[in-house]
Amino acid sequence: MSGVQIPLSLKKMIINILFYLFSTILLLSSFMVIFVQNSIYSVLFLVLSFISSAGILFLLKCEFLALMFIVIYVGAIAVLFLFVIMMLDLKTTSLIKDTLKYFPFGTLIGGVFLSEILLVVDETFKSNPYSNSLLSNFHLNWIDKIDTFTEIQAIGQVVYTQYVLQFLIAGNVLLLATVAAVVLTINTDKASDKKQIIFKQLSRNYKNVLII
Amino acid sequence: MRFETLLFKEIVILPELFLGISLVYLVLHCTFLAIQKNYPLIQRSILNLGILVLFFLCYLLLNDGLEVLELSSLNNTLINDYVSFSSKLVIGSLSIFCLLMIQPYIINQKINQFEYILLILFAVLGLFLLCSSNDLLTAYLAIELQSLAFYVLAAFKKNSTFSVDAGIKYFILGAFSSSLFLFGASLLYGITGTINFEEFKDLFLYFSSENLSHMTFFNVDIIKFALIFILISLFFKLAVAPFHTWAPDVYEGSPTASTFFFAVVPKLAIFVLLLRIFYYSFYGFFDSWRYFIVIAVVLSIIVGSFGGLEQRKLKSLLVYSSISHMGYALIAFNAGTFESIQMLFCYLIIYSFSGLCIWSIFLLTRLKTNYLQKHNKDLTDLVLLGKSNYMLAIFFTTVLFSVAGFPPMIGFLVKISVFLTAIESSMFFVALVSILCSVIGTFYYIRLIKIVYFEKVLVGKLYYPITKQSAILISLLFFFLLFLFVNPTLLYLFSYKFSLLVSTSI
Repeated sequence: MSGVQIPLSLKKMIINILFYLFSTILLLSSFMVIFVQNSIYSVLFLVLSFISSAGILFLLKCEFLALMFIVIYVGAIAVLFLFVIMMLDLKTTSLIKDTLKYFPFGTLIGGVFLSEILLVVDETFKSNPYSNSLLSNFHLNWIDKIDTFTEIQAIGQVVYTQYVLQFLIAGNVLLLATVAAVVLTINTDKASDKKQIIFKQLSRNYKNVLII
Repeated sequence: MRFETLLFKEIVILPELFLGISLVYLVLHCTFLAIQKNYPLIQRSILNLGILVLFFLCYLLLNDGLEVLELSSLNNTLINDYVSFSSKLVIGSLSIFCLLMIQPYIINQKINQFEYILLILFAVLGLFLLCSSNDLLTAYLAIELQSLAFYVLAAFKKNSTFSVDAGIKYFILGAFSSSLFLFGASLLYGITGTINFEEFKDLFLYFSSENLSHMTFFNVDIIKFALIFILISLFFKLAVAPFHTWAPDVYEGSPTASTFFFAVVPKLAIFVLLLRIFYYSFYGFFDSWRYFIVIAVVLSIIVGSFGGLEQRKLKSLLVYSSISHMGYALIAFNAGTFESIQMLFCYLIIYSFSGLCIWSIFLLTRLKTNYLQKHNKDLTDLVLLGKSNYMLAIFFTTVLFSVAGFPPMIGFLVKISVFLTAIESSMFFVALVSILCSVIGTFYYIRLIKIVYFEKVLVGKLYYPITKQSAILISLLFFFLLFLFVNPTLLYLFSYKFSLLVSTSI
């Protein structure tokens, strides 16, 4: 390593600041996913929450998972969502009435569950000795000091050996998903086949569109 | 340094491997056949191929005889003991029967895509893996494989709004319950650092409610918390009472052959997973989780008995009947003794086989009316079945009596033993409520019998004749149930070894 040596405490502080930044963005954007009326904005906030959680994963040194988050969730799924929502042309009305109707009961149930979870998690996972200092999110990975793996190497080493069966089952799930997608979308009926007739398409103009 | 992926010692997953590989072959085979000119109909051949594959699967399972070794393979993620062996055997034979019985339905309803059978085979693969899974990750993946197939089976009739609606409902609620399972599993992993059932057992074997307070390294409450999440998610899959609301809609809306399949086959496998988690791994927490199950039991028996009274459709009536039966099975699950586990499996096996019989009769009585595509029967569609098809009516009545728990039938024997286990473990209130509700639930079975025989109408309904194959099969099933009444020892012997699963923990 060359260049300027950043002092350790500064490094930890930067990590902490970044962690709080990303988690604030994550929390806010997840709230916005639920509360925003327009569904396109909601999906965009979902993308933002994915990106910020990828940032948190980067801070936790899970590069592979973080990249997968960005590639798969942001790159594929969220874009697909956006596509579908834009095609569906959803109306954004009468949401407030429903929200008001379900708000008290939903808040009660959610609040009870949240407090229970917080209580029990708080009692169980408090072994971090730095929990009151600024260094609370820093931990020393001793294995890193001896031998370094990238994360993808570590995953690759167990996926094909220890978890080979699980890998195969996941492959089967994918095969099933492909078959299912084909079943639910394919149309073998020849009569209603949507074929492109180029002549018809080219000879179409705005005057005769509405005549059926 | 050598890494081997599949070694000879992993021979115990040979049946699953066979099923997976033959699935890939079936996909290729059928795709090449189906894209030929004129789109030939291959539903009959693929059905027979599917039955052949399942038959070989059962044969492989029976043939190797490795279940006596109790091998756990693939780094202890799969276990091949007697429980997994015999539940797989039951599931395999149930699905063979199921495929044989839905053949006329598939041909009549013009379900022409070959993928229908493939989806059923995928579901069977998931159930097989679920039966022998020995850690939470494998169990989760197997549940996903099985339920993903079920969602598509529910939504298979694309031009029917009901079917698509059922598929979407099933999908959303199934995804929700899977997420609960994952949440519970991640909590367990966060606390203990392992996901293996055997390691859970080693960690928590010597726990009991007295020495729980001596645990200082972590709060035990969080394990209960995680266990309740897993319990709720599996109850969703079983359609047990507080989590049953999806079941009538989904079962009603999906094609009858699919309903047949997921009403009869998967319950046993999910109960095996429940046993492995709650009896094998976390028996030390028995006192804390059994109260939640008691609530589910009482609720589901009440809902199943009273909800069924209002139903006019045969399918939803059978759904409510299945909800109450899951309640009775959970009584046995809840009792926590050797006998109770034996009775649980007796009950589930009898439930599955009599369900198979009833659903087959439901599929076979095809009305001669002008709306051919309709297969959603009202109760009155069975009116005077006793006049038009005498034998079928007798079969139907006898199996209904057995399901309702009338004294001479096998259903009575298993039901009374379930109540006995409840009383033996001092659950008097549950036993009282369930016996009373069982009397109420008998009403709708008897009403069915009244409709079949004693309705005051002059003209009954006419049905299409039954094929010879279906007739032989339904008689076989019927005589099997009769035989079990004459000689129930067979059933008790078969299920006795199930209870040895928990011999390490109790």
